Amino acid sequence: MSFRKKLLSGKFTVTAEISPPKGTDISGMMKEARTIKDAVDAFSVTDNQRAIMRMSPLAACSALSREGLETIMHLTCRDRNRLALQSELLGAAFLGIKNVVVMSGDHPTKGDHPGSKPVYDLDSVQLLDMISRLNSGVDISGNGLEGKTEFFAGAVSNTELTGAALMKLEKKIKAGAQFIITQAVFDAGKFSEFRDKVHDACGKQIKIIAGIIPLRSEKSALFLNKNIAGVKVPDEVIRRITAAGNPEAVGPESAGIEIAAELIKELRGVCDGVHIMPIGTHKNTGKILEMAGI
Amino acid sequence: MIISRHKEFKGLLKAVREQDIFIIGCGKCATKQHVGGEPEVLEMKRKLRGSGKNVVGWTVLSSACNLSSWDEVLSQNPDIRKAEALLVMSCGGGVSIISSVTGLAVYPALDTESLGGVCNDAVVMEQCGMCGECDIQVFGGKCPLGQCPKGMLNGPCGGAVEGKCEVDERKCVWDEIYERQKSLGRLEDIKHIHGPKDHSKRGRRD
Repeated sequence: MSFRKKLLSGKFTVTAEISPPKGTDISGMMKEARTIKDAVDAFSVTDNQRAIMRMSPLAACSALSREGLETIMHLTCRDRNRLALQSELLGAAFLGIKNVVVMSGDHPTKGDHPGSKPVYDLDSVQLLDMISRLNSGVDISGNGLEGKTEFFAGAVSNTELTGAALMKLEKKIKAGAQFIITQAVFDAGKFSEFRDKVHDACGKQIKIIAGIIPLRSEKSALFLNKNIAGVKVPDEVIRRITAAGNPEAVGPESAGIEIAAELIKELRGVCDGVHIMPIGTHKNTGKILEMAGI
Repeated sequence: MIISRHKEFKGLLKAVREQDIFIIGCGKCATKQHVGGEPEVLEMKRKLRGSGKNVVGWTVLSSACNLSSWDEVLSQNPDIRKAEALLVMSCGGGVSIISSVTGLAVYPALDTESLGGVCNDAVVMEQCGMCGECDIQVFGGKCPLGQCPKGMLNGPCGGAVEGKCEVDERKCVWDEIYERQKSLGRLEDIKHIHGPKDHSKRGRRD
């Protein structure tokens, strides 16, 4: 069953984030994908994530689709103007990519090409609106298309929302986002509050997929808190990871696996799917999902 | 006001190939920001001389970007005729205007950054995105194109942490826009979807 059909029919979906290579060799990415392909519904493929230059997600999605794997192509507003975004989307549709998730994109100064021109010709709301237009057979200037797109479009969100951030999320949904993938969740209780807030403001039709980052060490938890906007690893989780590092304990990585699996179990009743975004590799993803009973 | 900052002197000195230099300051924005008024021009003169250049004269024009006549400038500053090059301590607008009326080599002493202002003695940068279709009133009087590094028109990106911008130390302007509109009872202005800017309106010559 396709990712779209499964999510819209109310079944719990599992998606995994994967990054294209920094270079032309896709063997590592393909190997990663193959190890978990039977456990996930779709792979989301990042677009110069954290403003670090990599192969285009269009090419990477195409490589994954050739092996029969379903993809969700990330598309940021950072690197392309409206002409380039639309031609990229038409190309993606032609290559059989069905799902896209859009976001503003980390500013170039955060990545490995800090001097590059930040484009942001459109913002994520305008990009979603443009995708809705392409789906209806016209481009952003109102010109007709020879063959329209049929994208299943989504957006991203932090789970702690200011008034302004909730307002933008409402607009993303109004502009055509049918699903939301959240930043990493570590507190199921707080996540439920977020879900209720979104349901109240935007209606219950929006599908919410919770982001999961399996922790690997105390260092990784502290790194996330310091460097990744919208992520807050609670102190008690950090204490558990630290305690697991004692010689007689299970080890931080195993504790990270347990924490992620417990979280998925808790979230299963509260959201429409989970999205696994590992630090580095998916080597533990299969185990986490198995422990979570998926 | 155009916001400019000093170039690093070593690099400037390396760029200027000529020996006989006339320095031109600007009495408007550059003076207000203390980067191209009389004290800064005199300091530049001292440094150039100390580095072996021959400063043949200097002046501070009332406005480097607003010249009624170059002949008038020449008649008031005849030493310009002794110069091989002009060093202009103004924004890029002033440098370009002066370049267009003189046959001499012209060097900028400043780097032009943005359209901003001075408020309560503090220089404020990037206040306006110069889009050519201003509707700042619907954004609580704060230009999201100029003041958000991503120019977001429909709300904040996900990069702000506790009200701080992802890019630098500035506050997220979208929190400020939201709070201002809320206090004015005009949240409706920002709740509808704003379409993208028409960039053909920027710098249009009709």
